[in-house]
Amino acid sequence: MKPRILRAVTSASLLPAVTIAIAAGIFVADTITDLEIAFPAFYTAVVLLSVRFCKRRGVILVGAGCIALTLLSDLLTVATGASGVGLINTLISLLAIATTTYLALKIEDEKAGAYEARSQLAHVARVTTLGELTASIAHEVNQPLAATVINGDACMRWLAADPPNLDEARQAIARLVRDANRASEIIAQVRALTKSSPSEKVWLSINEIILATVTLIENEIQQNKVSLRTELSEDAPSVQGDRVQLQQVILNLILNAIEAMNRSPQEWRELTLSSARNDPNGLLVTVRDSGAGLAPENLDRIFNAFYSTKPDGMGMGLAISRSIVEAHGGRIWATPNLPRGAVVQFVLPVGVGS
Amino acid sequence: MNQSKPVVFVIDDNPAVRDALDGLIRSVHLAVESFGSTDEFLRFKRPDAPGCVVLDIRLPGLSGLDFQDEMAKSDIELPVVFITGHGDVPMSVRAIKAGAIEFLMKPFRDQDLLDAIHVGIERDRTRRQAAATEAALQRLFDSLTSRERQIMLRVASGRPNKRIAAELKLSEVTVKVHRRHVMQKMKARSLADLVRMADKLLGAAETA
Repeated sequence: MKPRILRAVTSASLLPAVTIAIAAGIFVADTITDLEIAFPAFYTAVVLLSVRFCKRRGVILVGAGCIALTLLSDLLTVATGASGVGLINTLISLLAIATTTYLALKIEDEKAGAYEARSQLAHVARVTTLGELTASIAHEVNQPLAATVINGDACMRWLAADPPNLDEARQAIARLVRDANRASEIIAQVRALTKSSPSEKVWLSINEIILATVTLIENEIQQNKVSLRTELSEDAPSVQGDRVQLQQVILNLILNAIEAMNRSPQEWRELTLSSARNDPNGLLVTVRDSGAGLAPENLDRIFNAFYSTKPDGMGMGLAISRSIVEAHGGRIWATPNLPRGAVVQFVLPVGVGS
Repeated sequence: MNQSKPVVFVIDDNPAVRDALDGLIRSVHLAVESFGSTDEFLRFKRPDAPGCVVLDIRLPGLSGLDFQDEMAKSDIELPVVFITGHGDVPMSVRAIKAGAIEFLMKPFRDQDLLDAIHVGIERDRTRRQAAATEAALQRLFDSLTSRERQIMLRVASGRPNKRIAAELKLSEVTVKVHRRHVMQKMKARSLADLVRMADKLLGAAETA
């Protein structure tokens, strides 16, 4: 087993360096050419690039810097000769830089607003569906349970009568048994619902699924200032399974990890996703965070439905994840991470012919 | 009439709960009629007996709470005991404000439900008795002639025969004769008794 780091997605990237290089290039070109040539207009590209990695204030600073560089190179060029046309060109360039900066900021605001709205909508949708589902399951199960209790009570009253009414007592017990069976039928239906959702079993590369999931929530990762490491082993075996369901599991685990870390200091927020071959022929996926962690007594319970350690949690995410993993013949568990945080791992068996 | 056996009306759309309640209520020797919907209940010809409604909050169509309002509007004065699988405080406040006896969450203690049912039946019995007395009194009053009614109300308001005679332009003797008939027809044992009857009739006329 030779784990190899295939890809590391972190907030640090080449983009700022490239941008500075371009700015420097424009400055040199602008300084050595005549004033008549409106080279500074190319600074707009620098502003646009800065939007990719800077916040509001950063973009403003970059815009101001570009204007300063334009003026500086003009001062240096003026020595070799000034003209009216050159002055107008400089003014136009400055105006272009200012306008671009302004527009870039507007676009940035719009994007942030749209992102906010989208993530709120997604959250609401998730909570509402789960909430409705939970309420209706609870109601459906509660009815026969209530009937069971009432029948038991009635039976005791018939037996306590003087003389005891055995016939009525027997009927009450018969109803009780019927209602208790009904309750367990409903539970079986709910279980079947989560299991039998049309699952397409195909051969899958778990690494591909993990990377696709990461792409899906890259925004969320960046917004929460989490640094992500992926240690995806090249010899992680392919598994047979349902792509959407497995992606759902990984998504749930990543979202939980991010949520667990959102109170931690920024430099601690480290999320590691890894895949590996699990002896003898299985696949091990690990999601490791450095968040609040789990109390040892909760490690087993977190996978139970309707159990949540989060104040507003529904207690469904991990329960669904477990039912998916188990439907794939696998196992999921949690352990504490050192020095802080939690590790959630699951194994999937690799079928014959992998 | 007041001797008739009380009846409990169960309205719940869940057959299992309905059957179970039916068994439980029969075990304390009360008659039960069960309905899957409020419409079924409304179509049923209710016996002339004290009763109580055990009403589920979540029903198809009209909710239990809305049906409580509906009952009040259509003069069905049966007391209501609510049962629900998922109630909240605003629901229970609304139900109790509208006169419900109890608001029980499923599963509830059987004794709590039976106690509430008994309170409901007692309340209905009292209400029915008051209504019956009032109706009987009204029948007696209706048997009076219009002249006798005039005299009864004046006597009850404490006016002496002489003044009544003057007001109605009758002789004092005639007033006395009418007054005796009023006492007989109303089955009043004393003047005080008659005054009380007049008060009740006037009270009923005011609230009607």
